[in-house]
Amino acid sequence: MGPQHPMTHGLWTLRVKVDGETVVDTEPELGYIHRGVEKICESRDFTQIVPYCDRLCYASAMTWAHSYCYAVEDLLEVDVPERAEYVRLIAVEMQRIASHLMWLGAYTPDVGNLTVFVWCLRDREMFLDLMQELGGSRMHYNFPRPGGIKRDIPPGFANRARAKIALFLERMKEYEMLLDESTIFLVRTQGVGYAKAEEMVNAGVTGPNVRAAGVNYDVRWAHPYSVYDEVDWTSSVEKPSSVKGADCYDRYRVRMTEMEESCRMIIDALDKIPGGSDTTYQSGDEKIIAKVPSRAPEGATGHHHFEDSRGESMFYLQGGGEGRGKYPYRVSIRSPMFITIPFVAETMIGYKIADIPAIMGSFDPCIGETDR
Amino acid sequence: MGMAITSAQNKAAVDAAVAAVMDRFGGTGIEATSVEHSTGKHASFLRIISPPRQWLGLAKFLRFDLGVNHCSMVTGTHFPDGAEERGWEVAYHFMRMPVKNQASGACVEHDAATLTGLEIPLEVEIFIPLAKGDSPVVDSIQSIWVGADWNEKETWDLVGIEFKGHKDMMRVLNPHDSPLGFHPLQKQHKLRYHDYNEMYDDAQGFERKPTDSGLVK
Repeated sequence: MGPQHPMTHGLWTLRVKVDGETVVDTEPELGYIHRGVEKICESRDFTQIVPYCDRLCYASAMTWAHSYCYAVEDLLEVDVPERAEYVRLIAVEMQRIASHLMWLGAYTPDVGNLTVFVWCLRDREMFLDLMQELGGSRMHYNFPRPGGIKRDIPPGFANRARAKIALFLERMKEYEMLLDESTIFLVRTQGVGYAKAEEMVNAGVTGPNVRAAGVNYDVRWAHPYSVYDEVDWTSSVEKPSSVKGADCYDRYRVRMTEMEESCRMIIDALDKIPGGSDTTYQSGDEKIIAKVPSRAPEGATGHHHFEDSRGESMFYLQGGGEGRGKYPYRVSIRSPMFITIPFVAETMIGYKIADIPAIMGSFDPCIGETDR
Repeated sequence: MGMAITSAQNKAAVDAAVAAVMDRFGGTGIEATSVEHSTGKHASFLRIISPPRQWLGLAKFLRFDLGVNHCSMVTGTHFPDGAEERGWEVAYHFMRMPVKNQASGACVEHDAATLTGLEIPLEVEIFIPLAKGDSPVVDSIQSIWVGADWNEKETWDLVGIEFKGHKDMMRVLNPHDSPLGFHPLQKQHKLRYHDYNEMYDDAQGFERKPTDSGLVK
């Protein structure tokens, strides 16, 4: 199956060995869109790398750019101003909602419900508009900077965000009516693709996929960063429907509750933001961006674990590259999906061919970040 | 208010891990230290520098005695100008997650502030320096963490570090028919674009000539 197949959600191939309708062996084949981002970053300075990180995953550009920025701040020993942390949190959580909506919109046609696709993209557009106000473009924002953010929230942003989130929370109920009461959706997702929590963690799978299996592990509280300890939220978790672990339906449910939690977080962050959500500081103000050294010495390293929309992402940077440390010596990117796809391929063994799209899609694959 | 691991919990977990590793491996060349992140909450993590011959024993100790159950990333780096004993380096990043299998219809909601002992999430960074040479080798940990499998494939594919005992090693990101010994993240491979010089040294193109200039037509 692949590289051109609706199941793949990107460019990759899944070799499947079948016995009649039953899958007996699988082998994923990746690398179709390997662009060599890690090598390219070795000849870019620390600010120039941000747009490359945006392009790791078009559905989740904001989270990837932030993931990089936290790592580079660890390398350059910079503390981010508190207001910038709040704006970053708002931006990242909006991206998480948009990414989960993109997932839901891409997943439901796989399992026979085309309506939700259109609805999800409609609502995702609200959040893309809000992020466009921050970053200036629709999908690849280039918004965070090492040390802070490019520009502050514009006037009126908070009110528009509150209104859109209120509308979105109403529409979430419509999705749930459309999916939780749809026999086709339930038949296709319930009872397939079981995965146990411990096996997933050992295989490197993280994020919503593990939380669906009954444990509320989340990098956002386990290795606290940003201001997640100051805003109101709880880590969403879903009770697995079988002793065999979480099925596709559980993974759908956990993402729905996660979107609600993100909404709560954004509203609360807008209320608590230091300086007030009506204020707009000039770009370059010390309240939104800190002074950052442009060079990192040889031997310095920085890394940061980050809760991406798809699991734990991470950058590991070494200082002291070309230009007397102006460029990083080595950039290494952990993509949650690169590790998840081989695990999912093994999970499918024993199910029917028709279940492959349902199982694969439920883990939210993204090939841009997988191949880097 | 969102919950979070406190810095006291974090410090206690890292200090306990440092003590456990040094207690078990003291005098074997393994050095464990507690290091602080230099941004954000300035949380601590466990950093271990290990000689390659001790690696497998240390890995098993981390997995089965310290409960480090998640292999996050394997990174190889090439230091052609480095010291004789550090021509290559493999960096591992691990995490300990309080994750247990759940019964049907049950879930566990950890309250971060009440976690103790081996339940506190822990971040581990391990450096293994390898001697200069054309064939850096380190033991594979594929059998201990399943998640290390594809990470090691990627590291071999891009950097060229061999993992002894790894089953089913193959190209994952480069084309499958890449020449043997081609690993693009090694430092002798320079990043060049097509017509790099023309693009960057002569941005306006005044010096450019047609590709067939000088040939007899």
